[in-house]
Amino acid sequence: MPAEIATLATTDRPMLVATDVHRHFEGLHAVDGVSIEVPHGKITGLIGPNGAGKSTFMAVLAGTLPATGGKIVFDGSDITKAPTYQRARRGLVRTFQLPSEFARLTVLENLLVAAQDNRGDTLFGALMGKRYWIADERRLVEQARALLSRFGMSAKESDYAGNMSGGQKRLIEIMRALMLRPRLLLLDEPMSGVHPKIVLEIQHYLQDLRAEGLTILMVEHELHMVERLCDTVVVMAQGKVIGSGTMASLRRQREIVDAYLVG
Amino acid sequence: MNSYYAANLLVYAGVDIIACISLNLVFGVSGIVNFSFIVFQAVGAYTAAVLSLPPDSANGGFQIYFGGYQLPFPIPWIGGAVAGGLLAIPVGLVVLRKLRADYQAIALLVLSVIANLVITNARPFLNGAAGLALVPPPLSDQIDPNTQGYQIFYVGITAVCVVIVFVVANRIVNSPYGRSLRAMRERELAAAAIGKNPVQMKMTIFIVGGVIAGLSGAILVGFIQLWAPSVWLYPETIILFAAIIVGGRGNNIGAILGALLVPVGFEEVTRFIPTSIGPPGLIPALQWVAIGLLIIGFLWFRPDGVRPEPRHVFEGAPVRDDA
Repeated sequence: MPAEIATLATTDRPMLVATDVHRHFEGLHAVDGVSIEVPHGKITGLIGPNGAGKSTFMAVLAGTLPATGGKIVFDGSDITKAPTYQRARRGLVRTFQLPSEFARLTVLENLLVAAQDNRGDTLFGALMGKRYWIADERRLVEQARALLSRFGMSAKESDYAGNMSGGQKRLIEIMRALMLRPRLLLLDEPMSGVHPKIVLEIQHYLQDLRAEGLTILMVEHELHMVERLCDTVVVMAQGKVIGSGTMASLRRQREIVDAYLVG
Repeated sequence: MNSYYAANLLVYAGVDIIACISLNLVFGVSGIVNFSFIVFQAVGAYTAAVLSLPPDSANGGFQIYFGGYQLPFPIPWIGGAVAGGLLAIPVGLVVLRKLRADYQAIALLVLSVIANLVITNARPFLNGAAGLALVPPPLSDQIDPNTQGYQIFYVGITAVCVVIVFVVANRIVNSPYGRSLRAMRERELAAAAIGKNPVQMKMTIFIVGGVIAGLSGAILVGFIQLWAPSVWLYPETIILFAAIIVGGRGNNIGAILGALLVPVGFEEVTRFIPTSIGPPGLIPALQWVAIGLLIIGFLWFRPDGVRPEPRHVFEGAPVRDDA
C-alpha cells in the first residue's frame, strides 16, 4: 500500500487512507475491517444506521480510541500509533458528537486555546511573563475575532461557552478546530440538535471551507444534507463499509437502501 | 497579643498561603484532585530538616535519622522545594498517566495514608512517630532565634517567599499556558483533540505544585523546629481543600483569602473556645465537623467561592448584553 501511494503525485494523493481498520470491544466488532480513502479538498460523507460504527471509526481516525488492527496513513505518513494530540498538531482535527466546549472558558478563549503557535503556551513561556508572549496573543486574538465575525458570534466573545445554546456550541467547536489550521476536519454529526436556521449557516460555512481547500470527512444522518454537501459518500453498516460513491449512485443500489432504511 | 504569637500567626499564614497557592494551581486551575498534598509539604519539611540538622550522633543521639548535613541557609529551603518537585515525578508517573480523575483522587489519598504509616513505623529513617526535633532555624548560628528581631526576620523571609510564589503562580494562571491548563480541567478529551498533551501538562503542573508545597514545608519546619508524622496526617489536606473551595477555585487571590479564612482564621478562632465544654476531645472533633460543613455549605450555596475564577475579557471586546 505505501508503495502505491508513493507513486502518486502529491496533489492526487488522498488526504487520508485507512486500510482494514478494526476496533473491537471484547468481542464486539464495532469497526470491522474498514478501508476508505478521503480525497483532498472534498467533503466526504459517512452515513449508516445507528450502531454502524461511524462514530467509533471517527474516534479511531482521530486517535481518541486506539485501533485494534489495520493502518491509518494521513497525508503520506503512518499515524496508526500516534496519540490524539500529535494527530491534531499535524492537522487532523476532530469535533465530537456531543458538545465538548470548555464551559468555564469564554467563547474567545475556547478559540485561542486551540492555537498552536503561542510562545506563552509552555511553562517556560508563562514564567517569562506577559511581555514575552503578548505579541503572539494579540495576533491570535485578531485571528480568533475574524473567525467569530465570520460565524456571526462576535457579540458573544466574552460569554462563557458553557452558557451558549446547542447550535452555538457546535459553531464554537468548528471555529476552535479551524484555529488549529487543520488540513482534514473530522466532523461527527455537526448538525445534530441544531436549529434549522443554524444548520443552513453551518452548511454554507462548510461549503466555503471546501472552496478554500479544506478536506472534510463528516458523519451525518440527514440524507438531504449529505446529498447537498458531500462529493462522495461512504456507507457503513455493522462495522463494515457496504458501499461508496455519489449519493445519487448509492440511492440506486438496492442493498444499501435496505441496509440503511431497515438495518 | 505578644510578639511571639503574632510572628507565629504570620508565619503560619505565609506557609498556608503558599500551600493554598500550590494546591490552587494543581486542583483549582488544572483539576487534579491531589489528596496527597500534605505529603509534598512533609517531604519538603523533612528534607530541610535533615539538610540543616547535625548528624544524628549529636545531642546525645536521642533521635535517629539519615543525613544530617548541617548545610547553611538557604540550601535547606531550596532542598525542600527540590524534594517536593522530585517526589511529584514518580507519584505523577504512576497516578496521572493512566487513571481516570476519580481514581487519581483515591490513589493519592491512599498514598498519603501509606506514606504517613511508613514514616511512622520505619524509625531509623526519620525517627518514626517521635519525629525530628531541634531542627536549627535558618541563620541561627548568626542571629539568636529567641529574639524579637529574629521573629521579625523570619516573618520577612516568609513574606518574600509568599511574594515570589504569588508572582510565579499569577504568571502561570494568566498566561496562554494557564488557559490550556483550564481547558484540560474542563474537558481533557477535547483538549487532546486540539493538540494539547494532557499527561505532559498534568506532570508539569504537578511538579510545579510539588516544588511550591515542598518550600512551604521547609519554611514551616525552620520555624517550629520539629516535624513528626502527627502534623501531616491526611486530614490536613482536607483543610487546604476547604480553603480553596471557600476562597475560590482557580483564583490566586481566592487561594490567599481561603488560606486566611480557613487554616488560619477558622482554626485560630476555635482555639479560643474553652475546652472544658463537654467531654474531652469534643471541641477538636467539632472543629472537623465544622470544616466538613464549611465545604458542603460552600459547594451548595456558593460553589465558586468568595472570589470566583475571573472571566477573562480581552481588550477591545464588545460590551456584553448583561454587563
